[in-house]
Amino acid sequence: MATERNSPLEVRGLNKEYPAFTLRDVSFSLTPGSITGFIGRNGAGKTTSINSILSFVHPDGGEISFFGLPWKEHEREIKERIGFVSAGMTYHTRKKLKAITAVTRSFYPAWDGKAYDKYMTAFGLDGEKTPAELSNGMKIKYALALALSHGAELLILDEPTSGLDPVSREELVEIFLRLKDEGRTVFFSTHITSDLEKCADRILFLQRGCLKADDTLDGFRDAWRIVECAGEIPQALMSSARGASRTRDGYTVLVRREDADSFENREASLEEILIHLEKEADRT
Amino acid sequence: MKLIMKEWKLCMHPTGYLMPLLAVLVLVPGYPYGVCCFYVGLAIFFICLTAREDHDAGYTLMLPVSRRDAVRGRILFCAALEAANLMLMGMFILIRNVIGSLPNPAGLDAGVALIGDGMIIFALFNRVFFPVYYKDILKPGKAFACAAAAVFLWIVLEIVATHTVPFFRDILDRPDPMYMKEKLLFTLAGLALFLAGTARGVRLSAERFEAADLSL
Repeated sequence: MATERNSPLEVRGLNKEYPAFTLRDVSFSLTPGSITGFIGRNGAGKTTSINSILSFVHPDGGEISFFGLPWKEHEREIKERIGFVSAGMTYHTRKKLKAITAVTRSFYPAWDGKAYDKYMTAFGLDGEKTPAELSNGMKIKYALALALSHGAELLILDEPTSGLDPVSREELVEIFLRLKDEGRTVFFSTHITSDLEKCADRILFLQRGCLKADDTLDGFRDAWRIVECAGEIPQALMSSARGASRTRDGYTVLVRREDADSFENREASLEEILIHLEKEADRT
Repeated sequence: MKLIMKEWKLCMHPTGYLMPLLAVLVLVPGYPYGVCCFYVGLAIFFICLTAREDHDAGYTLMLPVSRRDAVRGRILFCAALEAANLMLMGMFILIRNVIGSLPNPAGLDAGVALIGDGMIIFALFNRVFFPVYYKDILKPGKAFACAAAAVFLWIVLEIVATHTVPFFRDILDRPDPMYMKEKLLFTLAGLALFLAGTARGVRLSAERFEAADLSL
């Protein structure tokens, strides 16, 4: 029997094969009331994973459950408890927001009209406008307002901050933190890692269809150090260096913390880790 | 019902209002009246095209409904447009008979049998269009081309039959109220075909939509 302590989303051994891309054995479990960042470069498989999780595409293998409930038998119940927001998908762009809302609310028994009004006001949204009249950031906020008004406990967001200016991204990050404070779980994919530095509790790093890391934000960052090399990379560093990246004065390389003590090093940002690991993958 | 309302409020294309009204064309002498039904098929194509442009599938599938429900909602909504077209056609046939009906050289006369003919056309359309459409919702044009081919083939056969096949020429294509029993039976058969074709269309469409990987 499912209980409230079940993970909002648990994925085990997710596989999906396309002619030019394969998602391999992706497994993770979300902690209730946390923010999890799903990172990887474009084409790493983040959207394919989310599409598989939400059954937009059919996985070739694996088990997916929400709140301890399998999708197939509990699709309707699960959909009442989750919200999905994708930056790349804007619905019914020529209809007024109030018309879309009127239709949407009819499907949710737990629709909270007061919460909807509150979020519309807080996000500065006008029901008389159409999605086509909104900026990308406002579209995301409207989708969030819909999801939050039906009481979504888990929010799945696909690249919600891509294409947004820094101020709008900051606003969204603050919204995610407020949602976390309310006890909601946020799972969002992005390749803009600086957003995650501000809010994520956990990081899932996907590379070429494989989940390469599943760790806390601090744990993921602390596992790596950056060594800056003036000129060429020293021979002694070659065996442990990952993904040399050219800079104005030489190179930076990523080194595992335990291998970095012999060299002058500094903390690595998420972005630097992502870039160097991708460069290493390209090289090998 | 909620999904049918969703179709009306969010997916309805202006042609969905206009095309059923073209049942008025039964007032025009010497016209292939089966084409009035084809126009509704054109409106359904536009509804599906608009739904694609508006990412309606992505919106609908995040509502607490199954893919099967989504398919049923769209097809029932379209069937309602078809039914509206046939009811209007019935009304204009009555008017036509009051003001005086001339024999129609381009297919069935404006009479009761024409309603049955319309049902057969819609049965064909629903049976062909929706299963092809739901195999790949990004290609409504392909589905429409297939359905239009089937519908036009039937319309051509029906026109030819009114000149060559005795049952069509001597019974169905005679002015009302002649052979009313046969015409009503033909219309009932059309209704049965409409229900069966639409039901089969729903079932096949749902199976295909459930099996499809959606790139939304």
